[in-house]
Parts: sequence; C-alpha cells; structure tokens
Amino acid sequence: MATKNDNFSSLANIRKKRIRLAATVFLLPTFLLIAVYFIYPVIDTFVISTYKWNGISADRTFVGIQNWVTLLHDKLFWSAFGRNVIIMVFSIILQIPLGLFLATFLEQGGKKYNFLKVIWFLPYLMSSVAIAFLFTYALATNGGIFSSLASLFAGKKVTVDLLGRSPHALFTVIGVMAWQYTPFYMVYFLAGYGNIDPAVYEAAILDGATRRQYTRYIAIPLLGPIFKTACTMSLIGSLKYFDLIWNMTQGGPVNSTELMATYMYKLSFQQFNMGYGSCVAAGMFILITVIALLFQKVFVVKEDY
Amino acid sequence: MKMKKVMAVALSLSMAMSLVACGGNAGSGSSDAGSSDSGSADAGSSDAGSSDAGSESGGAKQTDGKNVPELTTDDMTITLWDIATEEPNKSTQEAAVARFMKDYPNIHVEQIHQQNDNYKQQLVVAMSSGKCPDMYISWGGGPMAEYYKSGFADDITDLFNKYDHPDFIDAAVAQGTYDGKVIGIPFGSLSGCDVFYNKTIFAENGLEVPETLDELEAVCEKLKAAGITPFALANAPKWTGSMYYMYLVARHSGNEEFDAAYTQDGGSFTSEAFLFASDKIQDWVKKGYFPDGVNSLSPDDGQDKQLLYDGSAAMMLHGSWMAGSMAADSQEWYDENIDVFRWPEDAEAKAKGVPQDVEIGTAIGNAFNFCSKGDQAKLEAMYVLATQYFNDDQYNKEQMEHLNTPSIKGYDAQVTDPCMKKITEVFFNASNVQLWYDQYLPASVTEVHKESMSALFGLEKDGKQIGEDQDKAMQEAIADSK
Repeated sequence: MATKNDNFSSLANIRKKRIRLAATVFLLPTFLLIAVYFIYPVIDTFVISTYKWNGISADRTFVGIQNWVTLLHDKLFWSAFGRNVIIMVFSIILQIPLGLFLATFLEQGGKKYNFLKVIWFLPYLMSSVAIAFLFTYALATNGGIFSSLASLFAGKKVTVDLLGRSPHALFTVIGVMAWQYTPFYMVYFLAGYGNIDPAVYEAAILDGATRRQYTRYIAIPLLGPIFKTACTMSLIGSLKYFDLIWNMTQGGPVNSTELMATYMYKLSFQQFNMGYGSCVAAGMFILITVIALLFQKVFVVKEDY
Repeated sequence: MKMKKVMAVALSLSMAMSLVACGGNAGSGSSDAGSSDSGSADAGSSDAGSSDAGSESGGAKQTDGKNVPELTTDDMTITLWDIATEEPNKSTQEAAVARFMKDYPNIHVEQIHQQNDNYKQQLVVAMSSGKCPDMYISWGGGPMAEYYKSGFADDITDLFNKYDHPDFIDAAVAQGTYDGKVIGIPFGSLSGCDVFYNKTIFAENGLEVPETLDELEAVCEKLKAAGITPFALANAPKWTGSMYYMYLVARHSGNEEFDAAYTQDGGSFTSEAFLFASDKIQDWVKKGYFPDGVNSLSPDDGQDKQLLYDGSAAMMLHGSWMAGSMAADSQEWYDENIDVFRWPEDAEAKAKGVPQDVEIGTAIGNAFNFCSKGDQAKLEAMYVLATQYFNDDQYNKEQMEHLNTPSIKGYDAQVTDPCMKKITEVFFNASNVQLWYDQYLPASVTEVHKESMSALFGLEKDGKQIGEDQDKAMQEAIADSK
C-alpha cells in the first residue's frame, strides 16, 4: 500500500512539476517584456525622481524628497493637473454620450447606414499628429476654414482666433479631442449592442415594447458595464494626454493648454531637468492610479446580466 | 479582481512613463558604452603617432600642405548627427563628408540626418544612455554649455590653436566658446535679424525707410490708415515675437541691461529697457500693428511671409534665412518687392550715449560639437573633417549659392543678393551681436522667456510681470548651477 501511495504522489508531483515548468517557460517571455519595458522604467522613474540630474551627465546628485516637496508646491504642475481634470470631465460628458448617440442611431438604422459607420470611424484611424496639423490649418487665423467662413458671412475680414488665446485654446483642443475619440466610443457601444442576446430583443417585442422603448429601457441599461469601462478609459486617456496638445499648441499660449504630460516633457527634454521631470512623471502615475481606482470604486455597476 | 484592476490601470499608464524612463537607463554607463561602439578606433589611437608614412602614400589630398594633424591609417568609424534632412543642406553636407572619405578612405563617417523637431530630445536620450554621437550639431548657447558641463562636448582649444582652421569671424568663435574654451566649430552661416519690407507698398504710400523708432511708428500709423497691417508676425513659436523684444531692449540699453539681468547681479528683467520694450510692444499690439491672432500664426507654415505675399502686411522683422526662403518661393516677386532695413535707432537713448549698433542674431548658425570619449585620434579626424571639408571652398561656394553667408572673414564682400548684402553689412559693422535670448539663456529660463513673449503679445501679462517671471527663473538657474 505504502509503495503504491508513494508512486501516486510522486506521479502527481512530477505532473505538478511539469506544469510548473511549462507555465514558467510560457510566461517567461511576457514577464521579461513587462519587466524590461514596464516595471523597470516605473521603478527607475521613482528612483530618478530622488536625484537632481540634467538627464545626460554621468554624475547625479541624490536630493532625497526635495523634488517631491517642490512638486507639492509647484503651481504649474497643479494648474496643469487642473486642466487635465477639465479635459477629463469634458471628454466624458462629450465623447461618451455622443458615441452612444451615434451608436444607437446606427444600430437602429441597420445595414443601410453602414457607409456612415465607416465615415464616422475615420477620425479615429488618423494619427494624432496628422489631426493636429489638420486642425492647426483649419483654425489658422490667416486663411483657416473658420476665419474664412466667418469673413464670408460677415462680408468683411473677421479673425476667429481659437488657438491663440486662453481660455479658448483649451476648449478648442477639447473639441478636437472629441472629434478624434467619439468614433472610438461609437464603435465600442456598437459592439456592446451586438453582444446583447437577440432573444432579449425578441422577448421585449413580443411583450409589446416598441423599438424605442426597447432601446431606452432595456438595451441602454444592459450597456452599463460598458459605460464604466468606457469612462475609465476616457479618464485615463485624458489624464495622460500628450500628442495632440503637443503638436497643436505645445502647451501654449501662456501655459493655457499645458498638461501634466507636456509639462513633464518640457522639464525632462527641453530644460535639462530629468530628475524633476521624472518626479512629475511619478506624480502623474500616482495621481492617475488613485483617480482611476477611486472611480472604479465609486461607480460600481452590478455585473449581473 | 482587485489586482486585475490595479494592473489594468497600471498598464495603461505605461505609455506615459516609458517616455521619461527611456532617458533614464544610464547615467553611469556613459564610459563603457562609448568604447563598445568604437572598438576599432580605440585600437587605432595608440599608434596614431607612428603612422605618418602610411597616410602619405594615399595620394593627393585636399589637406596637403596644410597644418593639420596626421590622421590615423587604421580603420575608424565616426558617427555624425546633423539635421540636414532637406535640400539644399542635405547635398552640401553629404558632399563635404564624401570629400573627406575620399581623402581618408580608412575613416568611415556614418552621417545620420535627424529630424530637427526631435533632434534635441534624441540627443539627450543618446547621451544619457552612453551612445552619444562622435560629432553632432548644436547651436551654441545654453544647451551647448550643458553638454560640455556633462562631459559630452570636448574642449578643442588646443587643436584650434595649434592647427589650421578657417578664419572665422570673432563673434562666431566667441559663440562656439564656453568658459574660455573652444567647444564648437561653426559650419552653418551667420544669421542677422533685420526688417524685410515691401518696397512697392512703401512707394505707393509715399513712405520712407524709418531710421528712428519715432519714424517707425509714424510709418506704422500711415500703413494702418491705408488698411495695411504694419508687421507680419507669426508668434506661435514665441521666438519670433522675441525678436521685437530683444531689439527694443538692445536699442534702449545696448548690451548693458541684458547682461546685468543675465547675471542678476544688480540687474533685472524689470529694469528700464525691458519695461520700455514690453510697453512699446503692448502699445503696438493695441494699435493693431501686428496681425490679429498673432499668437496662433506659425512661421513653420509660412503664415508670416504669406501676409507679406498677399500685401496685407508691409514689414517683417525676421532672421536673414527668410531672404533665401522667400527667394525660393518666388525669385521674381522677391526681387521686385522685397528690400531690407536695420532695426531703427532709439533717438533718446542715442542722445544719452547708448550704442545703437548692437545687433541681434547668431554668428555661428550651426556648430559641430565633439564627443570623442578621450579618443584623441578620433578627435583629430573630426577636427579635420569639420574645419577642412565642412567650411572648405566648395562647401562655402554652395552655401553662398543658397543665400547663406559663412561665418568666415571675407565672405561678406562676395554677397551679391541686395538684401543679404545689407544684412551682412549690418552684421559685420555691429559692435556686438547678441545671440537670440532663447538660445543664449539657460534652458529653463528659455522656456519662461518664450511663455513671456506669448503673454506679452497676447496682452495677458504686462512688462513688470513677465520681467519678474524671467528674474525668478534666472535666479533659480543661477542657484542650480552653483
């Protein structure tokens, strides 16, 4: 008996060992990639944030928490954070309802609106840099679309300066962002509609619901969890936003579109202040993580369908 | 589940973080990584002195008969970073390298053209990860000082004093020098800063070229009355508006107040000349001397010269490279309509004895900095490349063809384009050439200065406020460097 048991347990052990080995082998590449390109940089950013370093010199001076103290009192950083929050709020109240509206419209229209689906999705396919250039030209005070149209209607030369002064610039950029990202949420909600079991629709119609009632009272509530994910994505995206702003305004005029990320970039790569730039990056990391987790905590949607 | 959420949030942040972190993976590795990409060159450095016989057998060279160091006959690779992505600079600079490699076939120059927009960032990343290119373009001023202090730009004073080099104008050598040591070899062209104006519009409205600020304001009034915007300015990148500020300061106080503000030793960016300049600019903005939406117009899209082209503006204070740029757009229109005058004098200041011949611009254009990591043979090779192949007759001839004037004595006499002739004369007659503030100031102050220019032209802050902002940044920079 004893020998038999031993045999069993050792066989089980061998099996366990093999699984462990296979798991290690299969996970290793992923782990290595994450370690090298994510974990290490994050840790290193926190390490660098305790140094005074210009980013190129071999000697860097350890300054402890001095950068962090500066960060806590840095008006530029906190006002940039404030603008990030404004962008976040407007992104969520603009992009998500608009995306849902477009998705609902397309969903109800069926196949005949397929061409609209393609056209409306195009902005999301363009790179931010291209969009930035496109809108810089369109918004130009000298021959841009808006100024030209305004001049046409007014019958004299009118200058519509949307990017050159504050607070117009920030809201203009928010508008461009909405143009860029709404299509993403449109497709996202479309997919959500697609995931609803057709039986639900059939049951609703059999019970005498109209198409509109079905959408309003059944389909949209069923999209609940998707809202939450969409909002979280929009939230994180807005807080770390960089590329479009950088290419359109570089944070100007007079810091009126400066975000945490553009501020970090300027410090690190233009002002030779990598230590403090890393501190800003690490600060961003903490802020975004905290806000995103809080958001998830507060807006718990029951995943019960 | 919780862990999953944390991971999801964390992963989506990775983009933002990796941007900074990619510049942060070294700091200690600069010395060993340097030798790994120049292994063959290291071997060559030891017997550089004993290879005289070998190099003489290479046939006639451009450098024969010149006092230049004997270069190694061993294989060597030099990495060179420039920003010559576009013609005509691309072919001019590639040709210089080709001539060098023909004369020294054992030395391979790997010439990499970087995009100007990303270049400074690329360079910072390369330096921090120990992959600094052997020679690279810089613009002098604050960043060059930063490279030097961090050990990525060699002191070449000895080579410069011992061996031949073109007879650079003094201002160019001065701008390539930091802390009394020669660091940069100029290879671009000098850039003056003067007022381009539409002479046809001036003639039609019976206007004379203004020689004092009062006359300039009178001209502006008349242009305004004729429905023409006086100045074509595109201030989106802020250094364009800075030209007006710098010139008003220079005419009001020469170099004195800027130098004092720079050291913050009894001086300030709120001193009289700076307030004078700010007040003038804001007065002009209010009077409509600058185009509407000036802060959103960009010279990268040519939006300032377009205002000249369509006749809606009459004057443009700009760097002399604009001459070549406008001539390239339409030589005919340029010849017919464009002339140039130097920034008018401040009669009041002149009466008080303030010199009126301090000009704004750069004598250096571009310079090469060297990062030999202690490899003397390589440094010598790069010195020969920068002084004898860049900057040789062929190179300078091509430069002149593209309306660039090399920062070398004697070339001013050869300029034929009428505008460039005037610009060059102004430049060579200057008692002092003040380098653009945005290149001269420390990098952190530059950023504040540029934001100040945007606030100034946007009427969001007055002269005193921007002066205080700049003072604060300057004091922090000084404290930092101690």
